[in-house]
Parts: sequence; structure tokens; C-alpha cells
Amino acid sequence: MIELSAGNLRIPQFSRPVYVVAGGLTDFRKRYPEKNTSQLCMEAIRMAVEENDLKVSPAEFRQRVNWGVYSQFADHFGDQLLAAAKIHDYLGFDPVGNIEVKTGGATGGSSVLAAAQAIASGYASCVPVVGWERMDEVATRVGNAYIASAACKDFESELGWMYAAYYALMAQRYQYENNVPRETLARIACKNYGYACYSPYSQNPGKYTIEDVVNNDIVSDPLAFLECCVMSVGAAVLILADEETAHQLSDNPVRLTAICGGSHTLRTADRRGMPILLLPNETEETYKDYFTHKRREWPGFSSFLAARMASYLAYNMAGINDPLEDFDLLETHDAFTISDIQTYEDIGLRPYGRGREFIESGDAYYEGRLPTNLSGGLIGTMHAVGATGIFQIVELLWQLQGKWDTFHADPERWARYGKKKPDDFRSLQVPNARRACAISHAGTGSHVTCAILEKE
Amino acid sequence: MTIELDGTVAEAVSEDPLVIKNPKTHTHFHTYGGWGRFFLGLREEKILATRCTNPDCAENRLWLPPRCDCPDCWGPMEWVQAPTVGTIYTHSTVVYPGAPFRASTPCPLISVEIEGVCTKMMGYLKEGKPEIGMAIKAVFNTAKPTNTILDLAWVPA
Repeated sequence: MIELSAGNLRIPQFSRPVYVVAGGLTDFRKRYPEKNTSQLCMEAIRMAVEENDLKVSPAEFRQRVNWGVYSQFADHFGDQLLAAAKIHDYLGFDPVGNIEVKTGGATGGSSVLAAAQAIASGYASCVPVVGWERMDEVATRVGNAYIASAACKDFESELGWMYAAYYALMAQRYQYENNVPRETLARIACKNYGYACYSPYSQNPGKYTIEDVVNNDIVSDPLAFLECCVMSVGAAVLILADEETAHQLSDNPVRLTAICGGSHTLRTADRRGMPILLLPNETEETYKDYFTHKRREWPGFSSFLAARMASYLAYNMAGINDPLEDFDLLETHDAFTISDIQTYEDIGLRPYGRGREFIESGDAYYEGRLPTNLSGGLIGTMHAVGATGIFQIVELLWQLQGKWDTFHADPERWARYGKKKPDDFRSLQVPNARRACAISHAGTGSHVTCAILEKE
Repeated sequence: MTIELDGTVAEAVSEDPLVIKNPKTHTHFHTYGGWGRFFLGLREEKILATRCTNPDCAENRLWLPPRCDCPDCWGPMEWVQAPTVGTIYTHSTVVYPGAPFRASTPCPLISVEIEGVCTKMMGYLKEGKPEIGMAIKAVFNTAKPTNTILDLAWVPA
């Protein structure tokens, strides 16, 4: 049993405010041999600095940078150790110091956390966070094995060499305990494939029906191919700054009011039961009827303690009382349909056992109370792992700045990636969005970060 | 003057962009270290777990996978033979595994609850259709051990 003490649950503080001033992306593709990784990172940072209405030229921007954070999940994939040094040089930042961050699928979120720590402590005033993944050097089945190298190689990896299978084990237990209709899970996939249709950056857009998903081939039961995220090549960049620099660079920087991290055992197997850690919108009363002969323990295989821990800290740090009411936008790490429902519960959108209601009620849609993964998410748009957590915050930044259309609706932007803007294009700009949340997630919940952005 | 190189040639699979083949055939020498005893135990049809020896530690159940050091109090662990029967906590039959997977597919992966063990060890079902709560017993690959976790499998009890 894990016993959390006051020291473990201390609410993090920034010593001074942290701002997000700009973001940039490449498009995301299954294979991208036309550009090497250095070029992709250059393309993303050029968008961040040249296309976000910053009041400086690239040369002037470089003069302000005093720390860099690099975000790549797996050296296996890129087959280049110390790639950060190569990219830092290519972007012209030497001899400014930098670090490369690695926390699996949450590498992007953790990199933003590391950059925020540098700004908040006063160590730095202007920090680019550069993330990428190049997953096309190997065949897909080898790629799945590389990803499964991020399970325990002594006791897990040999059993399937496939992360979808490890999630499917959780899914089967979650379904035993909560019995979510297949159609509800399929709706998450259909939603995110659908929103990806309005993103020029998306790798895997599609207009699927619930039947398409329900009748799709199974990878590892109960998960079907259409319920699993893509494997991508691409890059994402976010620029963080202190208050003074942020306002010198931009007329409308967005405040990063909190970003916090949690963890749990790499092996799902090793998760022992404990009392539910309550969020600000929950009480003991919320769970008085939760435990049954099927739901014998928490977090078990149905919940992510790391996500609960990260949101507990971030909500308390940013003064969030009810995430469903307080947030206007959300990006989750929808690696699999089932893990998205688990996450809805972990971050308090519904109590444990009732996550399905977030999608069934319509809350998760553009028209709903908390539009979720309007970016198309990992299922529809991208999972170039080191870029993913950064991509989420880039999309939220543009939403909060009211620039979603600028970065999605211009036909020339589609043409840039060899695509045609769809005839039935619709704007997904959420009017007057003020506060947004992004969840970055690794392993079967080994690391999770929760970021909260707020327009001033 | 020509340059002559021994060894493999990086074959170009595309000229524009230039994409080359980069084969990898390196062998790693991986140590199980203190956990090796678990894998050696499988050859003797034993599931060897560990237990914290600190009488003041709150966790006195067995750990499987084994650990040499207690994560709660950092005290030393002792080796204990675990039961070779359990029940299925959850399962998933993998149809499309990753490239190096050595067992046949479709393969039912399972998480196993064993009495007195604080964790839920991952394994696979060699026979039968998995169901949550199903009673199972361990079988061991002793004839030609792979020295991996695949040497432990489960069948209906």
C-alpha cells in the first residue's frame, strides 16, 4: 500500500509567473523521408517564431534564448544518441545550455515542465521547448517492439512486445468493473478522427461510423486498430518566457498557471491498492458506494494514479475547483479509447466508474461543456511521441489566443503540406476560451503531467 | 585513387530523398543480476518470490516479479517459494504482437492474482479461453528454457 504524506502532497509553487508565447508544428506523417529530424525541428521553430506575431526576428529571438529543453522519447527510433546537441546546433543556439528530457509518452509534457521550472526559478527568461520523434526508420512491428522496450524488459516486454496489449489488459479489467458499451468507446475514436479532418497537420483523419470502429480488426482484445493512436514523424515547438520577456515578444502571451507531474509503477502488475486521492470537486461521500465485489481496490488496473496525482497537484496549484466548469478546453493523451475514459475519471470530469458519461453526455464535443481533443488527438492527428505533449499545448495556446483559424483554416497552410483544405471545413475555434488543460501520459501511466493555461 | 571499404555496403533504397539501409545485428549481454534466481527457479518448476525481512515494514506480502530490495523501507528481501496456482485478474488475447514475439498467436496474455502476493504478475495462458476469476495453475518450460519470462505459462486448474 502506498501512503501519501504531506510532504509527498506538497502543492508546487512557481517563484515567478511563467508564460507561453508561441508555438509551431510540422505536419505529421507515418513516413517522412523528405526531411531529416533537424529540418523538421527547424520547420517547427520557424513557425513558432515567424508566424505567431512575435515582435522579433529569428536572429533577435536567438539573442534572447538562455536555456533549451529537448524532447525525444526513444533514441532507438532516431538511432542517434545525443540528438539534442545536433538539433541545438542546427537551430543556432550554441553555446547556450540545454537538456534533453525523457519520460516515455509524457516526454513532451515533462519537457514543458522542465522549461517552466527554469523560468519560474529565475534560472532562465526565454526557453524554447523542441520535441520530435522519427518513427519511420523501422517497420511498424519493429516500432511496436521499440515502444514495448518501454515496458519492463525482464518481466513484461517478451509478453507481446506490444503496448496496445498492455492497455488491453487494463481495458478488459475496466470493462469487467464498469461495463462501458463498445459504442461509447467507438464514439471517442470517431470524434477524434473527425476533428483531425479539420487539421492540416493531421496524419490520420477520417469520417468513421461507430459501426466501422466496432467491426474493425482487433489488435489485442478488446482494442481494435481504429481505437489505437498513430505512429508518427514530426516536430513541435513551444516558447516559454518570464513575464517581462513574454510581453516584449508578444501582445497576447498565455499564462502557464500550473504544470505538475505524477508517477506510478512501470509494470501495471505492481500497483497495490490505496485510498482514493480526492480532487477538490470530490469528497469521501463521492465514493461511498464505489467499491463492490468487482471493484475491489483503487487504482487497480482501471485508474491511473499518476494522472490523479498530477491533476491533484495542478488543480490545487492553479485554484481549479471543478475541472468541468473551470476549463474551456482539454487535450488528453488519447493513445487508446479506453485510456481516455480512464483519464476522464482520473482528472475529475466524472467520478471513478462514470467516465463514460463525459463522452455520452456530449460534454467532450466542440458543442459540449468541455471540448476535448479538438486537435484530433493522438488517434486522429499525431503521436510523434517526443512532440506530442508539446503539440497539445501548441494547439491550446492558439485556441486561447483566438488564432485557431489562422493556423488551420488558411488554404495555403494545407497546400504547404501537399493537401487540399476540405470542402466541408469547419472552424473549431472555441469562442472566448479562457482556461485550458493538457494531460501528457507515459507507459501504462508511469508518468503523467497536467498543464493548465490561462488567458490574462 | 579509389576508396575500398570492407564490410557491408549501405544500400540506397531511394535516391530522392536519399534513403539508405542501415542493418543492425548487435548482441546485448543482459544481466538479470539479483533477479536471475527467479528465472533459474523456473527450470525447477518453482515460482520464486521475495518478501521484506524487516519486521517493522508494513508490506509483508510476497513480491512477484521479485525485488532484491523493499521499495517501502529499502530493507533486504528474502526468497520464498510462491504458490503455483492463481486466478486471472484480467486478460487480453494479442493478435498482432510486436516483431520479436516468440510465442504463437493469437496469444492470451493474462495478469495473475496469487494468494499472499501483493502484485499481479503478467503471464500467458497456454490452454483454454481466459476469463476473469478463472482458476489457473503454472506450467514450466523446462525442456528447452528460453531463460525469459516465457518459460512460465498458465493453464486452467
